[in-house]
Order: sequence, then structure tokens, then C-alpha cells
Amino acid sequence: MELSDTNLQTLTEYLKKTLDPDPAVRRPAEKFLESVEGSQNYPLLLLTLLEKSQENVIKVCASVTFKNYIKRNWRIVEDEPNKICESDRIAIKANIVPLMLSSPEQIQKQLSDAISIIGREDFPQKWPDLLTEMVNRFQSGDFHVINGVLRTAHSLFKRYRHEFKSNELWTEIKLVLDAFALPLTNLFKATIELCSTHANDASALKVLFSSLILIAKLFYSLNFQDLPEFFEDNMETWMTNFHSLLTLDNKLLQTDDEEEAGLLELLKSQICDNAALYAQKYDEEFQPYLPRFVTAIWNLLVTTGQEVKYDLLVSNAIQFLASVCERPHYKHLFEDQNTLTSICEKVIVPNMEFRAADEEAFEDNSEEYIRRDLEGSDIDTRRRAACDLVRGLCKFFEGPVTGIFSGYVNSMLQEYAKNPSVNWKHKDAAIYLVTSLASKAQTQKHGITQANELVNLTEFFVNHIQPDLKSATVNEFPVLKADGIKYIMIFRNQVPKEQLLMSIPLLINHLQAESIVVHTYAAHALERLFTMRGTNNTTLITAAEMAPFVEVLLTNLFKALTLPGSSENEYIMKAIMRSFSLLQESIIPYIPSVITQLTQKLLAVSKNPSKPHFNHYMFESICLSIRITCKANPEAVGSFEEALFLVFTEILQNDVQEFIPYVFQVMSLLLEMHKSEIPSSYMALFPHLLQPVLWERTGNIPPLVRLLQAFLERGASTIASAAADKIPGLLGVFQKLIASKANDHQGFYLLNSIIEHMPPESVDQYRKQIFILLFQRLQNSKTTKFIKSFLVFINLYCIRYGALALQEIFDSIQPKMFGMVLEKIIIPEIQKVSGQVEKKICAVGITKILTECPPMMDTEYTKLWIPLLQALIGLFELPEDDTIPDEEHFIDIEDTPGYQTAFSQLAFAGKKEHDPVGQMVNNPRIHLAQSLHKLSTACPGRVLSMLSTSLNAEALQYLQGYLQAASVSLL
Amino acid sequence: KHGQRMRKFKNKGKDAAALRMQRVEVSIELRKAKKDEQILKRRNISLDVKEGSVSPGQDRPDEVIQLSLEEIAEAVNGNNPKLQLLATRVARRLLSKQKDPPINQIIELGIIPRMVEFLSGADNAALQFEAAWALTNIASGTSEHTRAVVEGGAIPALISLLSSPHMHISEQSVWALGNIAGDGPVYRDALINRDVIPSLLALVSPVTPVGFLRNITWTLSNLCRNKNPYPPLDAVQKILPVLVCLIQHEDKDIIIDSCWAVSYLTDGSNDRIQLVVDTGVLPRLVELMASTHLMVLTPALRAIGNVVTGTDQQTQAAIDAGVLAVLPSLLRHTKPTIQKEAAWTLSNIAAGPCQQIQQLITCGLLPPLVELLDKGDFKAQKEGVWVVANFTTGGTVDQVVELVRSGVLKPLLNLLSAKDSKTILIILDTLSNLFVAAEKLGETEKLCLLVEELDGLEKIEDLQNHENNMIYRAALNIIEKYFSGEENSDLEPQTGQDGLYDFSVKKQDFDF
Repeated sequence: MELSDTNLQTLTEYLKKTLDPDPAVRRPAEKFLESVEGSQNYPLLLLTLLEKSQENVIKVCASVTFKNYIKRNWRIVEDEPNKICESDRIAIKANIVPLMLSSPEQIQKQLSDAISIIGREDFPQKWPDLLTEMVNRFQSGDFHVINGVLRTAHSLFKRYRHEFKSNELWTEIKLVLDAFALPLTNLFKATIELCSTHANDASALKVLFSSLILIAKLFYSLNFQDLPEFFEDNMETWMTNFHSLLTLDNKLLQTDDEEEAGLLELLKSQICDNAALYAQKYDEEFQPYLPRFVTAIWNLLVTTGQEVKYDLLVSNAIQFLASVCERPHYKHLFEDQNTLTSICEKVIVPNMEFRAADEEAFEDNSEEYIRRDLEGSDIDTRRRAACDLVRGLCKFFEGPVTGIFSGYVNSMLQEYAKNPSVNWKHKDAAIYLVTSLASKAQTQKHGITQANELVNLTEFFVNHIQPDLKSATVNEFPVLKADGIKYIMIFRNQVPKEQLLMSIPLLINHLQAESIVVHTYAAHALERLFTMRGTNNTTLITAAEMAPFVEVLLTNLFKALTLPGSSENEYIMKAIMRSFSLLQESIIPYIPSVITQLTQKLLAVSKNPSKPHFNHYMFESICLSIRITCKANPEAVGSFEEALFLVFTEILQNDVQEFIPYVFQVMSLLLEMHKSEIPSSYMALFPHLLQPVLWERTGNIPPLVRLLQAFLERGASTIASAAADKIPGLLGVFQKLIASKANDHQGFYLLNSIIEHMPPESVDQYRKQIFILLFQRLQNSKTTKFIKSFLVFINLYCIRYGALALQEIFDSIQPKMFGMVLEKIIIPEIQKVSGQVEKKICAVGITKILTECPPMMDTEYTKLWIPLLQALIGLFELPEDDTIPDEEHFIDIEDTPGYQTAFSQLAFAGKKEHDPVGQMVNNPRIHLAQSLHKLSTACPGRVLSMLSTSLNAEALQYLQGYLQAASVSLL
Repeated sequence: KHGQRMRKFKNKGKDAAALRMQRVEVSIELRKAKKDEQILKRRNISLDVKEGSVSPGQDRPDEVIQLSLEEIAEAVNGNNPKLQLLATRVARRLLSKQKDPPINQIIELGIIPRMVEFLSGADNAALQFEAAWALTNIASGTSEHTRAVVEGGAIPALISLLSSPHMHISEQSVWALGNIAGDGPVYRDALINRDVIPSLLALVSPVTPVGFLRNITWTLSNLCRNKNPYPPLDAVQKILPVLVCLIQHEDKDIIIDSCWAVSYLTDGSNDRIQLVVDTGVLPRLVELMASTHLMVLTPALRAIGNVVTGTDQQTQAAIDAGVLAVLPSLLRHTKPTIQKEAAWTLSNIAAGPCQQIQQLITCGLLPPLVELLDKGDFKAQKEGVWVVANFTTGGTVDQVVELVRSGVLKPLLNLLSAKDSKTILIILDTLSNLFVAAEKLGETEKLCLLVEELDGLEKIEDLQNHENNMIYRAALNIIEKYFSGEENSDLEPQTGQDGLYDFSVKKQDFDF
């Protein structure tokens, strides 16, 4: 491509087309530009256009196109062709800085970005004169140009803030410091002087302050990795000026905008960051300056208004104080009672006040409000910063701070009492203050876990919280209602049970509040109270205690779902689930109405599932309805199927991906409820469940395996007779699962069910292949999880088909295979098996190998007999895995593994643990003793002599115990 | 990834050498040269009042004569011994000014070779002395200045003056040679090759005056100093026995400089550390670590800190010498650099086998460590984080439990808001180690709650927005693995004609 007018013309045309709203025009133009961007001179043509085009829109478009071109092509990737020819690279680097500096701001920003992309690759080695070129511009006196340079420098240097220390990085920083630090310092000083000479010129000040902000940002980047010698030597200059800027105010710089931070705020905020950086990292050197900054920042806080535009500045400033006040050697700066009082009064209390913006959010953006207030995504808010400062101060001054605040709390409550409708915000602040003062540690699951003992939480609750909630008008002072409910919720572990019980009807009543925040909090509080643990792992609040409230609770919960804005309110749905789980059979009378409402809801949300938590709890609630009802009346399963299958079919047909895993789980639950042979309505579905497309979605795997297991349990013989041609497909699913390290245990669940339930002849021809497959995994990529599942499986196989069959099939795959598996896998790894049922299966299986497998007695495998017995005794005598699984009632969705990766296990669809050995063997130790006895009778003397010669003494002692307990002896 | 972590865990102690970090990865310094390091070069300054004591009775203020630089050059180059002495003394006096000595101007006069000649004039002791002093002060300047002296041929002349019958001349030569050695490895080795060591060592005797002994010790320390390359091994072996005697001296300055010398000798490969360990000096160093004088304690701590970067046996020698008993108070020292070096030392002990970690626990190092992490200076906190990281990598599950019990988690999680990417990453790695241990105990849930309670979860979640990719990934990994999360592999079946998975395998030979 020549640098010709024709080409410029053509390029202009195409650029114009890329702005066309019609894709038919836009796309080809974009394609064309992409196809020519490899040509020499293309970037230079763009640069020419962005400089010289007559049309501003083309200039801007060319600058954006240029930046994107640089972004895509500048980096030279090893083994890939260089996408920009060398002469273009040189020309770009030679021209871009002056071009950027002479361009209007809109274009300047694009070019500045481009420079930083190039700089990231080429600077400093391949662009040695960049720094000098930039620094020279500082002399220009033109602050438009200077700001361009500073902005570019900022985009080049800001990576120093997050990259790891390395020789390469530090060499670059050193180079930058050598060339840049002094000019920057001089510029800083000069700019500040200009600020005072132009103190009355608003437009000049704006430009100058933009420079100062950039300079302060550069200071942060250059000082981030370590304290450079230059800046240590010039600390006086920088810090004195930073300090005076913090205290500076100029009417001309104040903005009318309430929301957007102005230049002054941005600058001060950055200075707070800079001071915080020095205070944290270079404390030793910064110490002499720190007290001054503490005073300045605190004065700043005292004088800064409540407007939103100051939020960032205020929270940065408070965080600075919070980080300093908990350091032992600065304790003295805060120690004085007057200082503490003044911080509490002038900094903390004002920033805890409920502001107009909060009120707006409370009413109009309640979801956001709840997220901030309840879930703690309030990191940058003033309230949060103030809270952190309280916590920081409490580290050394808990007593005095609590004392000071008690005074404030009382006076604020008095203010409120004088005229509640006008002064309700005072009470809000009082509650917030008490909360932040009292809470020392908190989790979502348990609320406050450590409280300040100097605060009497129960007294405050009884005197100031309960009265509000007892008021007959649920819609009055919604903010205070929300505060009160939240108080119950977070201090639920500190407030005595009788108080909580008294609160329950109040909370139920507030489910009717119009305010979304209020009824959401009420639902959430109930849900949290219902999950509290009492003694003996039961719930603190019992179903009996709830009996008088069942009807009103259910009615109000479902009614709350019809309130505007709460049709898919996850807190309410979760409360429904938890109520069902707590109330159990007392909900049965209401089930017909409940299940209708839930199905309608399900139908409605399946059109466009958007609230994953809501949906999850809804399915949990459905499962609970089924379980609770069918437990009392198994016949009821039919009516649930009737109510649900229509919606389920629709979900499956429309492939509503979010819901399919849930549907499979509910179906499993229903199928397992059937006592007799599998209904034909289910059988028709069977072939569809083997479709690979379903198994490609990881979220489907666990529920589908579960469903197939239910099919095998209830209908193995039907499958063998009516769907024998689908058996390879079923095993194919097993193979698919076993291939994955993440899903292999699911493959084993399936395989175990196949072996346990399918008639032997129906799988006979596949058995060898199954083992080959397993051995392959064992050989190529074994994991502990795989080995554990494998051990359980082969022992189950042994129980089902006999020890001899196991040995024969192993050795038919490869000679001496059985011995190898015993020696290399079973004996060394058996102790890894965990879980009671799993251990039992292994014990019974190994007992069979020891006592019912002739080759163990009369071939070379005999040498493994004692080691195997020893391993078995080890399995018995290892300390039991005594971790008790969470009772399902307490389970939180967040606890179920893999929630975020599409599979949501329904806790209440959970099946009982299945024990394939069951009653056949009650006590595996006795069983071993009896089996050994039988063996010794068959070949007298052999067993005894093996035991006496090689079994170690400890194991022998255990064994004798088993024999004694079984009242048998060996011959 | 998981496998790798497991391996790291199983091999605890085995690849301690790999864990053990002499963290000098970055040779570039942005910081000011450290103020508490030993001085490389020193000028012999004549303070007007004390003049007499430095140069025995030669300079009385009334005798001071002013000469211009040209006059000095002329006189030095001339043949009049009296004028030579006079001019050299004037030059020396200029060079001994408290402020701004005119070193460059004197060099530019081109009189250095001439002064070197004066050194050999055994018949004129006064001139010898003045010349040696002048050269000492020239050599005390920049590298340029030192080079001027060396290139003027001063080295052999100064070395032979060591055996001058006049003690003050011998002493001045020691000083001059110290400045030359202090310039860097090249001149240091030039001196060693000229056999400076035997002559220097010969000056050490029970009757050597303390002041003289101080100078000798300082020069010896400069002969041990600097890397790239290190001083030759045989030179080190010659110096060490004398150094070990000097370090037992009661004079503070002699102790300080001999400690520095030992610290230089230990700042190297393990075989160099071994030479020092073999002298049996470690108990003395540990004793000096407990000194109340910062100047003594600093190099002693440095030396021991270097020793524990060595092999497990060398580290054990330091432990046996009692280092763990003195570290607690150093971790609580008011001076941040001491906290930092103490924590660095501890981090290398924590990188050892679990037996050494156990000693660290038994000797009560955990409480001061937690305190340091909580309230220490940031530099020290960074090192403290390394201690914890190494501890959790090499410690047994029981030891890790002990660590968590000591309350390390809270300050560690607080440091996730540190403004230092590496520190954040190491903390995240450490947390992964802790979770692995918790998994083994079946207490993952408990640890999750604890992390959340201490506001750690919020911080880790926040780090998912960190600009640094590795930090972002490490944070994400922890969140996914422990606060939600899942993974994948091969052996996949094909889809058959019926549209279902094909169940088939090829047989291979198995050997487990």
C-alpha cells in the first residue's frame, strides 16, 4: 500500500462504512480492513488520517482502528510471523508521541493507549528515546501536552503496582527513575506554584489539577515496588506538598454535581492512597510525616460533606485512619479521650448516618441494597469504612470507645423518641452503631460469632428492637423494621431463645410488609432461625414450638411471593424450603394447595430461568413436599406424578438446561418411592437417558446416574428382557464416566448398580471388557479416588459372583493378574477405603477371597494369604472415620459441591445410603471368624500353621478376639 | 496440579534445599544503600583538636603553612626532601579536611606516583607516613579515586610498609590497604595475590595495641568482603583462624568488624558456610546476637542468617548453638531491619525438615512470629509470610495444626491486603497448603468458616479482580476448590451407530 491520496481516500470510505448501523454494510467493510491490515504502510495511512482528515468522525474512527490494530498485531509471538514490518514499526515509534500530544483529547486517549501497548513490548530496550522524548515535553509549559505525557507515563508505569519483583522489572524501574523522577519532582513543584499564581483562574486550575492527579498517580506507581532512593531523599518535598494539597480548598474547584467526584476529591483521594502506601510499606522512613497526615486526613473528614461525590475520598480517608490506629506505635496519636471522642463524634457517627442515597436504594433498588447490607458487598461504602474504623479503634480502646458510643446511642434514641416520624434516622444510626460496635467476627452461616462483651445486646433488643416490631403497623418506618429484623438475624446466637421465640410471630407478620427489604429480611431471619442448632444436633426451634404458627407462616410466605418485586425472591423460597423441613408432617394438610402453587411457579419460571438460587430452593421444596407426604402415605406418589409430569415433559422437550438436572433428581425420588415393578411411563424414557448429548453436560451427570440407578434397582429384569440392545449403550455411559477423573466415581455408582441388579447372564459377555477398562485407568492415571472406588467395586463383584469367579476373570485377562492386583493394589491400598458401607463391602469381599478361593490355598497365591488377612485386620482396626455428615436439614446450597458448575444437588432429593451386603452380614469381624472356621474345617491344620508362622502378633491378638466373639475356634 | 502439590507434601524435608531461599533474586536495588551496613572505605580525618592523637605530635596549628596546589605539585616533584615533606603534609592535611576534601584536584596534580615513591624511602619515616596517609585518604573516595592510587603503583609499596619498624607507618598502610580492598573484588584479589594476608596476620599478637588491632580487623573484613567472585578459598582459610580469635576480643569495634567478616564469609555457597561452621564460631555468634549493641547484633544476626541458608546439617549446627533461643527477642526488636533479618533467618529454618520445624515450635517461636505478622514492620511481615509458607510446605499435619492454633491465620489473612503482589501470592499458596492439611483431617469445613470469620473470604474474593494474573488465578482456585468448585480427563468412548456410546476397549499389558 502506497502512502497515496487514493489509498487515503479508499481507507476513508471503508472507515466510514464501519460506522454504518446496517451490518450488511458494516461487516464487509470490517472484513476488508482486516484483510489489508497486513500490508506495509497501513498503520501509517491510519496515522495520516487521524491527523489530517477533514472529518472529525474519521479522525476518531482512524484512531480507534489504529489502537485496535496495535493491540492485535504489535506483539511478536515466537514462531509466528512478524505482523508489522520493521520500517512501519520504526515510523510509528518516531511519530506517535508528538502526534498524540498535538491531538485533541479524544484522539489523544486512543494514541496514549496505543503507546502503552507498544511500550509494554518495546520499552525500554527497543524504544530507548521514549523517556527522554517525554521528559523533554515537561519543559513545554503547555499543560495539554504535559497531561498527554503524564497520561502515557501512567499507562506505561501502572503495571509496577501489580507485577512481581524481578530483575527485568526493577531494571526498567531504575531506568525510569533515573530519567523521570527528578523531572517529575520539578514538574510537581512547578505545577503547585502555578496553582497559586492561577488561584483565581478556574479553567487553568482544572488543567493544573488534572496534572496533579496524574502526578500523584505516577508517584504511587513509582513508589510501589520499593522505596526508591530518589524519593527517600526527596520525601520532604513530596510529603510537604501532598500534605498541603490535602488541606487545600478552592471554591473554583468545587463542583455542583452531587454524584461525580470532582478534581479536588480525586486528587485528595489519591493522596490518601499515597500516604497509606507509605504508612504500610515504608513506615520507618515515613514515621516523621505520619502524624501530620493523620491530623490532616481527620480534619478533611470532619469538613467533608455527605454528598455521594465524596464517598470514595471519605472511605479512603477513613480506611487510612483505620489502618494506622491499630498499629501499636501510633496508639498514642489516638489515645487522648478528646481525640477519641472527636473521631467518634465527627468521623464515625456522621458517616454511619442513613443518607438520601441509601433511602433511595432502600426503596427503588432493594436488591442492591440487600446485597450491600446483608451480604457485605459494601467494601467501598462510608458505612463500611466507618465500621472498620470502629473495629480498628476497639483493638486498643474498646472500653473508652464503647463508653463514648453508648452516650451517642442514648442521645440518638432520645432524639428519636421525641419525634419518631421526623427523627427515625437517628434510631437507624443508633442501631447501626450498636451493631458495628458489638460485632467482632461474623459468618453468613452463623451470624455474629464473637461479640463485644461490653455491649448488652439482649437489653438493647428488648428495649429498642422488639417494640418496633410489635407495632401494629408493619409498613411504618420500613427502614427501622429492616434494621430490627437484621438485628435479630445477626445476633441470633447472642439473644436468648425465649426472646427469639417471641420474635417469630413478629417476623411472620412482617412477611406481609410492602417494602421488599422488610419482607425479604423477615423471610431470611426466619430461615436463619430455623437453621440454628440446639442440643443433640437438633434444631433450636422445634416443630412443636412452631405448631401454632404453621398455617399463618405458610400463608404469609406464599403470599409474600405475590408481593410486587418478589415473585422470584430467593430468600422467601429458601424460607419456604426451611419451613417444610422443620415442620415435617404438620405441613401435610396444606400440601395440595402448596404443590399447586409450586407447580404454577415452576411453569412460570421455566419460561426464562433467571434466579438460580430461587429455582434451586423451589425444587428443594418440591422434593420435601414429596418426601414428607409419601413417608406418611406411599400411595400419594401417583398424585405428585400427575401434578408434575406435565411440567417436566415441557422442560425436557424445551431443553431448559438449567432445570434438567433438577427434573432428573425429582424423578429419581419419585421412582424410588414406587414399591413394585417399574411403571411403563418411566421405561419409555430409558433409551433417551442414554443419549450422549445429555452426558456431555457435566451438570446432568450426577442426577442422571442417580436416575439410572433407580431404573436398575426397580427395573433391571425389565431392562434385560425388553431393552437388552441398550445394554452396550448403558455400559458406554459407564465408560464415558470412568474416562474422567472428575466423574469416575459416578461411573462406579452406575457399574455397582449394574453388577448388583442386572441378571448375570445379561452382562456376561461384557464382564471382561469392563475389567480391562478399569485396569487401563489403573495403569495410566490412577488417583486415590479411583482406587477407593475400584476396591469397593471388585469386592462387590466378589460378593455377587464369588471369589473364584473374580480370580478366574482376572487371570483370563492376563496370567497372574489376580496376584498382581492383590499385591499391588488391594493389600497396600485397602486402608484408604472410607465409609461404613464401603468398608463392610470390602471386608466381606476379602473374607471371601481368603476363605472361598481355592487358588489362594494351593497355588503361588498362597504367599499372599497372610498379607491379605493382615490388611483386612488393619481395615477393621483402623480408627473409624468419625466425621458426621451435616444433617441434611442444615445444608446450605453453598455447601453442596459443584454448585457453580451447573450441577445443583438437591439435598432433599437425597437417597438413603444403600447397603448391598445388608443383612447378609451383620458383623464382618464375626463373619471373618466364621468363614475362617469353615475353611479350617475343610483343610485342618493349614490355617493354623499359616497364622502361627507369619501373622504378626498384634493382628493375631485381634483375630483371636474375633474368634472368641464368634465362639468358634480353628482346627 | 493437585498431583504436584501432593508430591510437594510427601517429599517434605527432602527437597529442603529447593525450598530454602537465599532471597537475593533481585540484584537491582531501588532503595538507598543500607545505613547499617559496614563502611567500605574510611578517611583518616584530622580533627583540629585531636590532631595530636592521630599523628603523633607532628601537626601543631601554629606550624600550619598554606601552599597553593601548584606549589604542592612543584615541591613534591622537586628534589628537596624538606619541601617534599612539607608539601606532602599540606596535601595530606587538605585531604583530611572534614568537608569536601579536594581529592580530584590532588589526583589531577599527577603527584600520586611520586608519593608512592616516597613510601619506599625508608630513610625518611616522616615522609613515608605523610605519603601513606595522603594515599589512604585518596583511596577512600570513589572507585575512580581508588584506581588512581592503585594505578600509581601503591599496592606493593604499601604491603612492604606493613613490616615497617614504625608502628604508626605500618598502621597507616593497613588502613590504606583496607580502602583498596574495600573497593571491590578486583583490587581485593590483587592484594591477596600480592600476599598481603601473611603480612597482615603477622601484625596480630597479644601485644598489638587495640587501636591498631581495630584497623587490622577492619582491613581483614574487607578482604573477606564482596562476591562475584568470592575471595579465593585458600585466602579465607588463612584468615579464618585469626578471625575466630579476634571475635572473642573484648573490644566492641573489633567484635563488630570480625562479625562482619564472618557474615561475608557465610554469604556464599554451602562449602564456604562449612568452613565457618567448622571453626566452631557459631555459639559465639549466637551469643553476640543477644548483644544490646545494634552494631554488634546486626552482623552477628546476618552471619547466622546466612548459615541457615545452608544444608540441613549446617542449619542444625546453628540450632544447636542456640539460635532459636535468641530469635524471639529479635523478632520483637524495636528496629524494623532487625525484625526483618530475624524473620528471614527463621524462614530458612522453617524451610528445613520437620524435625527442625518441631524445634522451632518447641522453642516457642510461634507466638513472636504471630505477633510480628500482626504488628511488625512491613519488611518484616513479608519475611514472616515466608516463614509461614515454608512451614506449611514442609511441616507435618500436626505441626500445621499447631501453627493454626497459635493464631497465625488472622494476621496472615490481613496481609492479603498488602501492597505487594509476591506477598499476596505466597499467602494464597500457603492457604492452599493449609487447606490440604485440613482435608487430611476432614476439617475443610472448619477452616472455611474460620477464613470467612476472619474476613479472609472477602479478601480472597476481592483478589479475583487483581490485575496480576497469577494472583487472580490462585484466588479463583481457592474459591472454586473450597468455597464452591470441579475438573476432567481421557479414555472417552466413541458414539456408535445407534447414537449411543460405544462400549469398547483395546487390551493392553498391565503392570501396576
